[in-house]
Amino acid sequence: MSDDKTHAAGGVEPGDTSKRVGMEVIRERGVDPEELREKLIDAIGAEFTTYYYYTNLRMHLAGEEDYKEITEDARLEDRAHFELVVPRVYELEGSLPNDIRDFADRASCPDAEVPTPMDDEGGFDTSELEVEDILEVLLEAERCAIRTWSEICDMTREADPRTYDMAQRILNEEIDHEAWFIELLSKERDDEINPAGHFARGEPGDAPYSTNNRFNDSA
Amino acid sequence: MMATDDGPDIWTVTITIPKDVDRDDAGRTFEIEVSADETILAAARREGVWLPADCQQGWCTTCAGRVVDGEVTHPHARRYHDEDREAGFALLCTARPRSDVTVVTDQYDELLAFRAKHDRPPGNAKFNDD
Ligand code: FES
Ligand SMILES: [Fe+2]
Ligand SMILES: [Fe+2]
Repeated sequence: MSDDKTHAAGGVEPGDTSKRVGMEVIRERGVDPEELREKLIDAIGAEFTTYYYYTNLRMHLAGEEDYKEITEDARLEDRAHFELVVPRVYELEGSLPNDIRDFADRASCPDAEVPTPMDDEGGFDTSELEVEDILEVLLEAERCAIRTWSEICDMTREADPRTYDMAQRILNEEIDHEAWFIELLSKERDDEINPAGHFARGEPGDAPYSTNNRFNDSA
Repeated sequence: MMATDDGPDIWTVTITIPKDVDRDDAGRTFEIEVSADETILAAARREGVWLPADCQQGWCTTCAGRVVDGEVTHPHARRYHDEDREAGFALLCTARPRSDVTVVTDQYDELLAFRAKHDRPPGNAKFNDD
């Protein structure tokens, strides 16, 4: 080996901490890391807002304990998706918006609101709220997530294996989630048996594909 | 329009890709048949014309285009405003033809700036941290 420093890549000078080889290798492979990073912020904005909205949707499935359990899995896994990708945003020299309103506004998937208006007292008007309508909101939220993480897989394939790995892990779970809500909505709305075909998860929010960075027990 | 005895009307949609986009089909124009109950995005992808999209629920604006001729409707779009329509913007993921239509694709940056000017999301939320 020569004495020349050979660990610099993509025009990053030895010892230069103002640039990241971890970003330049992506740029060299034809993907703009800043554009990708902004897309990731939009995508985890959606994970974060659905984590919030699913809290509300789940509790309005009152008395439907099996539906609540499935929704809880999906809810906690969305939080896991958010947390899996947050560090990647910072590695790509981005940050979470300081204002949570900006974060929600730029989320790449729609607000998953309880499908009923508010009543005069500022609570939900639940008089005509149907279980099947809640299940449909859940299903469409999962479908949006599948499309988002598929787009991010497309953007990163052959250019950024680290982000690709995260996106495909999340995509695995989003496809699980869609299958769950297809099964539940088919039965509830159409009295049709349309199995997800899955085996049971472990603890609620198990996130078997996406929780690969469990640093402590509270995560 | 092609007349159909049963089923929805079918319209001709002319899709113009701007010259400056970073795809192999930059600058090309495609003509596709789109039925009235189908979205322009879904029909284009079916025909092998890969247009940008993300949510496919008329929310994120990734699929923004501009209608230069003809009429579209957005019955299922989650975030599409009268002023978007008046300015000629369409969200191709949810836009369904109501006549023969000509659209220009890849108007995301333009719609983002327009939304920001009108203080509508995701406009300013995407600019605030730059
Ligand atoms: S793909 Fe999101 S608005 Fe069309
Ligand atoms: Fe998710
Ligand atoms: Fe999900």
